Amino acid sequence: MSNKIVAWIDERFPLTAIIKHEMTEYPVPRNLSYWWNFGFLAMTVLVIQLVSGIFLAMHFKADAGMAFDSVEHIMRNVNYGWLIRYMHSTGASAFFIVIFIHMARTLYYGSYRAPRELMWWTGQVLLIMLMATAFMGYLLPWGQMSYWGAQVITNLFGATPFIGPEVVVWLRGDYSVGDPTISRFFSLHYLMPFLVVGMIVIHLVALHMVKSSNPSGINLAAKDNIPFHPYFTIKDIFSIGVFLIIFSALMFFTPNSFIEADNYIPANPLKTPAHIVPEWYFLPFYAILRAVPDLLGGVVAMVLSLLVFAAMPYLDRSSIPGGARYRPFYRALFYVFAVDVFILAYVGAKPPEGFLVPLGQLATFIYFGLFILLPFLSSKEEKWLIKRGLPPKVQELVDAEVAQRAQHKADRAAKRAARRKK
Amino acid sequence: MKNNFFMPVSFLVIISGLFIGGNVLASSSAVPLAKVDIELNQEAYKRGAKVAIETCNLCHELKYIRYRNLLDIGFTQQEVDGFRGNKSMEEVLAASMTPPLAKKAFGMIPPDLSLMAKARKKGDRYIYTLMTSYHEVADNQYDNKLFPGIRMPDIFALSVETDEKRRAMQDQQIKDVTSFLVWASDPHADTRRTIGTYVIAYLVLLTFLLWLWKRKVWSRLDD
Amino acid sequence: MTDDVKDGPDNRGRRDFIESITSVVAAGGIAAAAWPFVQSMNPSLDVLSKSTTEVDLSPMVPGEAKTVSWQGKPVFILRRTDEQIEKMRGEGEGKVPQADDSRVLEPEWLVLIGLCTHLGCVPNRKEEGWFCPCHGSAYDNSGRILRGPAPRNLDLPPYQFVSKDKIIIGKKA
Repeated sequence: MSNKIVAWIDERFPLTAIIKHEMTEYPVPRNLSYWWNFGFLAMTVLVIQLVSGIFLAMHFKADAGMAFDSVEHIMRNVNYGWLIRYMHSTGASAFFIVIFIHMARTLYYGSYRAPRELMWWTGQVLLIMLMATAFMGYLLPWGQMSYWGAQVITNLFGATPFIGPEVVVWLRGDYSVGDPTISRFFSLHYLMPFLVVGMIVIHLVALHMVKSSNPSGINLAAKDNIPFHPYFTIKDIFSIGVFLIIFSALMFFTPNSFIEADNYIPANPLKTPAHIVPEWYFLPFYAILRAVPDLLGGVVAMVLSLLVFAAMPYLDRSSIPGGARYRPFYRALFYVFAVDVFILAYVGAKPPEGFLVPLGQLATFIYFGLFILLPFLSSKEEKWLIKRGLPPKVQELVDAEVAQRAQHKADRAAKRAARRKK
Repeated sequence: MKNNFFMPVSFLVIISGLFIGGNVLASSSAVPLAKVDIELNQEAYKRGAKVAIETCNLCHELKYIRYRNLLDIGFTQQEVDGFRGNKSMEEVLAASMTPPLAKKAFGMIPPDLSLMAKARKKGDRYIYTLMTSYHEVADNQYDNKLFPGIRMPDIFALSVETDEKRRAMQDQQIKDVTSFLVWASDPHADTRRTIGTYVIAYLVLLTFLLWLWKRKVWSRLDD
Repeated sequence: MTDDVKDGPDNRGRRDFIESITSVVAAGGIAAAAWPFVQSMNPSLDVLSKSTTEVDLSPMVPGEAKTVSWQGKPVFILRRTDEQIEKMRGEGEGKVPQADDSRVLEPEWLVLIGLCTHLGCVPNRKEEGWFCPCHGSAYDNSGRILRGPAPRNLDLPPYQFVSKDKIIIGKKA
């Protein structure tokens, strides 16, 4: 009976073909480690946020005079409102933890390299969309930290040359963060996740064309691939189980570790809290912003600190594949970068006084310095590794890459010579 | 690099060091909070509620607690009727002192207490420490070690109380009020933790089963 | 599952067992997870507490009619004079005869749901009762339908006296 229904659909919609092509026969390297589960986990968190968010929106009032009370109404009066609220606030942090690990995997294993540049860039767009969504969502409870965080960050747009002040007022809909701001942030916060879904589709279409990389970084032979279903469907679902245990421990036992105490005080436009701290996932960027004494300079540095990742496919000049596995210097850079990001996060969490100011500036310098260093270091490392001798498989790929580059050079020279003759 | 685990392990050690070091630096400068254990059960909430409604509620409102909520911590309808008098069950625990009067008396409106236990870092310890940090600075003049310049009077007169028995009783009352305020800030917290235990137990079982299934599927591979 | 190259009869039995028990456990979990969300759409605690409304009758004088809200609906309360009680005695002269004393707990106090039984408009207070402006139904001072399209007498809410001067609407004695 169900076969007949499927056959009827197949005449009108490529259902079986899609399932076959994208799941049951879709080839995946057999040696993927659990670091490759985090993309799927990110989608899981997105679903958690969508569901909890939609049910919260049934009770939330996006009005400056009612927002804070409506959140307390949800926490105290709505059946299981406390559960849905804490799920959503914990989920926001969980989303960033999962995404940062997902990015770290990509950087460590060099999965941003050709032909996966578009995956990397669509991923970056997704990160920026996620940050915008989180920022706007944080204003909604209308606590002290919500209000003042929004006030500070919207102020940054005042650095725009010539039209700065107008842009800030336009963003807020008012001279300072107020009722128009919370209304529009609610509208956009509700909208963005659906745009994120669309962007994820693009991200996955790209993935299904170039296929997953793998921990060795080398393209495996076709025989080393296994079908996505059932191997990776069950592995993904198992990883959800592990993730949910950790998520539930946080959500049920320490949900307030992700909510700033000051946010349980209703917003007061006339009283700034002693320490304005953004949510933890914005801390490194906040530190970079404050490291530059000039407003526009700080904003530019902060934006650059995000955008610089886009250049990775071109900064990494080594033809040695696979990111950190066969490349000890690249691996060292990766870990230095990771420690630096944590130092920046620490600096961002504290008031900018004493030794923290030069520390933040040093950490910012190192942050950008590592990216600038990468082209030089990767070329040097390649030469050193080749001299030391590479595993044969890796050597083959390097030889092929070197030959290809030489070929390109020769082609370009020939073209130039032909043009000159004319 | 010879040892494959050298870098990741060093990384984790450095990060942990930063985290711990950072916390040590932070706490050494602030006024330390008393390491007190606040009871979280209905008996404590009820004892604290009695003190809070008869004392704190005179000046502080609890705008998110309604008289009807007092039934949830085990008070009988009669007891709640005793607290509310002519007010309806739906009314909030408003302060007896109206805002204009309070402003006159203290220069500011005493803050709402419904969320106080969550509106301060380590709110339970903060409230207890605040109430027990009053000390005498001059004749009949007091100040507070945790909040110098505080405008709230020394309600329990702990700054001048010398009788050990009374001090112990007041200390217990302050602990009880703290318990009540912790409940007031998050009335469903106990349910939350109970449900959480069941949820995690269930998830451990489910994840174990999923792990078995995953192993079964992957065992088909090495042929 | 079609790829059972390696499965002998032994493996098949065990595999199905793990699969089925995991699926059952997972399905149970999903249902349990959906429950709080479904419940969150049910009336919240503050709405549920509105299932009853306390009304203080002491300020009302004989002949006075008042409208209060109960569960979002209007409730007419009429403190009837002796004249009105006398006039309403018996089954009334309307389309649906009903004894007046079966419609009240105390003859002095008439408590009715203020929605016309025709299509739900709120009738207006008149000397001899209520008149619905929407389609012309008229009710007497016992809430009985006299003339017009309404099929029933005005409905009675559950209520009880907690003291001489106070009623709780929403709770039947």
